[in-house]
Amino acid sequence: MATKAFAMSQKFCDLQSPMEPDFVSAQHLTGTTVMAVQFDGGVVIGADSRTTSGAYVANRVTDKLTRITDKIYCCRSGSAADTQAIADIVAYHLSVHQLEIGEEPLVKTAAKIFQDLCYTNRDQMSAGIICAGWDRKEGGQVYCIPLGGMCLRQPVTIGGSGSTYIYGYVDAIYKPNMAQNACLEFTKNAISLAIQRDGSSGGVVRLASITEAGIERQTILHNDLPKFSVI
Amino acid sequence: MSIMAYNGAAIMAMKGKNCVAIAADTRFGIQAQTVSTKFQKIFELGPRLYIGLAGLATDVQTVSERLKFRVNLYELRENRRVKPKTLLSVVSNLLYERRFGPYFVEPVIAGLDDVTSEPFVASLDLIGCPMVTEDFVVSGTCSEQMYGMCESVWSPDLDPDQLFEAISQALLNAADRDAVSGWGAVVHIIEKDKVTTRTLKARMD
Repeated sequence: MATKAFAMSQKFCDLQSPMEPDFVSAQHLTGTTVMAVQFDGGVVIGADSRTTSGAYVANRVTDKLTRITDKIYCCRSGSAADTQAIADIVAYHLSVHQLEIGEEPLVKTAAKIFQDLCYTNRDQMSAGIICAGWDRKEGGQVYCIPLGGMCLRQPVTIGGSGSTYIYGYVDAIYKPNMAQNACLEFTKNAISLAIQRDGSSGGVVRLASITEAGIERQTILHNDLPKFSVI
Repeated sequence: MSIMAYNGAAIMAMKGKNCVAIAADTRFGIQAQTVSTKFQKIFELGPRLYIGLAGLATDVQTVSERLKFRVNLYELRENRRVKPKTLLSVVSNLLYERRFGPYFVEPVIAGLDDVTSEPFVASLDLIGCPMVTEDFVVSGTCSEQMYGMCESVWSPDLDPDQLFEAISQALLNAADRDAVSGWGAVVHIIEKDKVTTRTLKARMD
């Protein structure tokens, strides 16, 4: 999953003093599991809360569900610095755009700006983003913008290092036209499964549902997560 | 990635009043992926003598098997149980024999002397340098975190129950700050007349 940029920056890391532990110089990465599901009337987004620096857990309560506008959010995975910077820029553009058009911006517009930034700067960045939200024209939408900078609308999408463990689960469980509560349950279960297997994902599960009424957030602590024990 | 961090581990041992404790996480993983949550890293080499092995999982298993072999032969020849301090030398020798192609393990020893019941903890690096301490030893991918926790919770002359609390909190909270350690933990409290083994309810992330 390493991009050229990441590999280049690792070369500079080799100049570190040999006595220094890894986490002093390692990049902050959101190892991560993120997910977004569209339902009739909005979207559900979810993420874990672990940021790692090498193997060190730098932040165990990260918020990876970042506001772009009141009804458009993004799920960040990859380099913490890159995704924070991109999200800030997109939020800025959209707030100006909102003033210019006098109404709430479209999710498609946000996704396009994400794509533009991620594609143009693809060589220097390590950012996997899911842009999801609600607008008056198309309702709930989910757009995934993975590493190279493509943009694709999908009814359900997963991202981050932990997502590899739940492709089968998502494929098996997802059905079109699920209700909001079913989507929340589905997202919670999927992220819990990924957290159980992926070392780079963990902490709490953050869920949010975005509808015409706005966003409703919840945080689920470790003890309240569903237990799937096979291992 | 470093070979010592390929599988991930968190192991520590602490001295108490007439007792010792040794604890380890139970994760077996391959880099970021967790494969099993029931992997044994602490091995019994005598009724009150335990060794914990952190590092590459294949070497954890191989070293524990080869060490058991050497200890068995020692006990047959000497017709008595091996002392903790002597075990330290046996392990050191085993590891240094492979000085230029080492086993990627960093062992931790905890036990009570067979005759005097004196508590003993020690650790070694991967090429067999022994270190005996009067308080605690740690080993694994989150050793910096474990040192911090041990320095905070340990005090001299803890009784078995207090020692259990201290080592459990130290291990769990250190492993929670490491992406490749955790997913379960086991603690052995070794006293003069009994050994109590408990599994801790740990975070499975």
